[in-house]
Amino acid sequence: MKTKKVYGLKDMEVSNKYSKGKLIASGVIPFAFLIILIAYIFGPGSELLDLGIPLPEITMEKVDFLDSEIQVTVRNTGPIPVEIAMADINDRIQPAAVEPDRYLERYETALVRIPFEWNEAEPYRIGITVEDGTRFEKEIEAAAPALEPSLELVGFFAIIGTYVGIIPVMIGLLWLPFIKRISKQKYHFFLALTVGLLLFLAIDSIEEALDVSNESLAKSFNGTLLVATVVVLSFLGLYYSGEKIVKRAESSKLAKPVAIALMISIGIGLHNFGEGLAIGASVGLGSIAFSTFLIVGFALHNTTEGIAIAAPMSRGKLMIGKLIAMGLIAGSPAIFGAWVGGFVYSPFTSVIFLAIGAGAIFQVIVVIMKWIKEESQNNMSSSAVISGFAVGMLVMYLTSIFVY
Amino acid sequence: MNLLMKIKSRSGIMMMSMFVIIAISILFIAIPEGINAQQAEKVFVTHSGAVVKTTGEILDPLYTSATVEFDPMEYLRDFNYGRISQLADGTTLREYTLIARDDEIMEVSPGIFYNVWSYNGTVPGPTIRATEGDIVRVKFINNGEKEHTIHFHGIHPAEMDGVFEPVGGNGGQFVYEFIAGPAGVHPYHCHVMPLEEHIVHGLYGVFIVDPKEKRPPADEMVMVLNGLDTDFDTENNFYAANTIPFYYQHHPIQINTDELIRIYVVNMVEFDPINNFHLHGNLYKYYPTGTDIVPSFYTDMITLSQTERGIMEFEYKYPGKYLFHAHKVEFSEKGWVGIFMVNENKKGIWSEGYGS
Repeated sequence: MKTKKVYGLKDMEVSNKYSKGKLIASGVIPFAFLIILIAYIFGPGSELLDLGIPLPEITMEKVDFLDSEIQVTVRNTGPIPVEIAMADINDRIQPAAVEPDRYLERYETALVRIPFEWNEAEPYRIGITVEDGTRFEKEIEAAAPALEPSLELVGFFAIIGTYVGIIPVMIGLLWLPFIKRISKQKYHFFLALTVGLLLFLAIDSIEEALDVSNESLAKSFNGTLLVATVVVLSFLGLYYSGEKIVKRAESSKLAKPVAIALMISIGIGLHNFGEGLAIGASVGLGSIAFSTFLIVGFALHNTTEGIAIAAPMSRGKLMIGKLIAMGLIAGSPAIFGAWVGGFVYSPFTSVIFLAIGAGAIFQVIVVIMKWIKEESQNNMSSSAVISGFAVGMLVMYLTSIFVY
Repeated sequence: MNLLMKIKSRSGIMMMSMFVIIAISILFIAIPEGINAQQAEKVFVTHSGAVVKTTGEILDPLYTSATVEFDPMEYLRDFNYGRISQLADGTTLREYTLIARDDEIMEVSPGIFYNVWSYNGTVPGPTIRATEGDIVRVKFINNGEKEHTIHFHGIHPAEMDGVFEPVGGNGGQFVYEFIAGPAGVHPYHCHVMPLEEHIVHGLYGVFIVDPKEKRPPADEMVMVLNGLDTDFDTENNFYAANTIPFYYQHHPIQINTDELIRIYVVNMVEFDPINNFHLHGNLYKYYPTGTDIVPSFYTDMITLSQTERGIMEFEYKYPGKYLFHAHKVEFSEKGWVGIFMVNENKKGIWSEGYGS
């Protein structure tokens, strides 16, 4: 065995240069063949593979109700270029305009402007017909005027975001002195509770992302897999950078809880950005009545997020400035989310943000689990941990009822 | 010291992440998707009269003559009397040739292309006109891929009914021969199964049988009320008088005051059980199927079922623009609407040359 190894090593040294070239070649050759294959398939005289009839497909991603006009953002989500030929409202043909032009390559978008005296709160079916006579339809539950960025509205969304994001998180942070004084067992309970809360939020984000992609994204975007991919990428990215932060923080015992709390804040911040998007978009699309009741629901729900940040911080020195900063990191994205969602809503970016948020939360969950494991000397099945986890999920579920 | 530095860098991270979130938000507000272009503005007028400017293209079923593949204005007053000859016994023989095709793609509304099946290249096919008692001989050539026939409504022998004698595609032939009758207005259409498919694709036309004693001279026109199901969901996407949606709205039919107008109306709409015809600012005498000399109704609204047809006669007293349309408003908002432009009559110009 030993001799064999030595021989192998020697051989490698001798033929190092040669084998390096070989290595590169062996890596490149499959690519070359792949390119030849693609060139062959798409190249001239390749009717061989023209089986089946490609059908046009468009997706109406966004419908805005402006003054005496309905505007539809249309994307070509089919396998072939399309021409937009006609627009209708409730299956009644209307003269319209299409900007910049009616020719749509794959994935290209156009804005269809349909002059129409619409009535607020009434349902509308928007129809777009393409050149082969196929008609596509999108149903709007209730027409609501499109939100145009005005200082007043910016302020309105900022207030909603503050109520929904910042204030509840800050209130949640006030649990800190309480958590600080409790015994180790009970502390584990609260850490596990945080995990439960976060797990719920992550699932919630994924559900929301899937909802948006099913409702407004074309099938060609592969909604479910898009969400899965972004969740995993976001998790991996944050896991990698998170490990670095923790390692740097490890030199002082004081800093590690801060680092973890920071990661939790960022994760929750991304989630709240998604939540803000949803609120802004639903106000913009008129699909919900934005009642004070709903704000109360969100506030109650998000108070638990403050606990998630407070729990790890409670083992360090009380640092009020940092705590407030983290509360802002976690809460204020709700404001930005509401702005973006209300003024420049795009289903694609919503899905991406919600998925990033879910990935971020999963990463935080892993970090806290690790921490619990360290703190409790590998006793992950203690009653404190299990019950904390369960209570976390349950509390989130119960408070979520107020939101839907 | 070291600790302080670390804390500083950590709050730096916080600041950074805050900054990133703000920057992303600003980016999305500043650069919304899709909308751009700074080109010359075009203007169009909506059906309710609003004027709208656009930097893009206009989507309006406004048919300009440059793009017409089928001209409803030409079809309106075009009657095919056939090649006329006299038989030994003095009977008039009228010979026609109808050629069926099923491979044409026609622009039926601006930018919308539909595979029409047609007689002599148009939907509806040519208006065949004869006098009661004439011998009608129609040479039918099927240049389509599928089997087709011509089934005339009217009185004729069973073997001339165009039902049990399918004519094969790619040049198949058949000669339909019968005595024209009864006087009135009748449809003809393909009767190959699946019948609905053959009809909605456009294989139909109008067959007018004039009574032996001619009707009074008039400005005569043919209107086939039809629909187009361009996405094959057994619901019509378009309705029209003479195929092209909104055509007569954007190209009003010119008529004169105090001039007798006679319209041969045939309802060929499929899928929807009824259609109707409402005239503005006037009432018309209505002769169902045109088989009687005495009108049955004096009205501005009649209801028509599939292949139900009749003759309308009216005169306008006052000049101006008058709508005519389906009062099943869904149909009119999908194209079955038109305008009569009534001009002041310059006596004598219009009173001859029609109906002969």
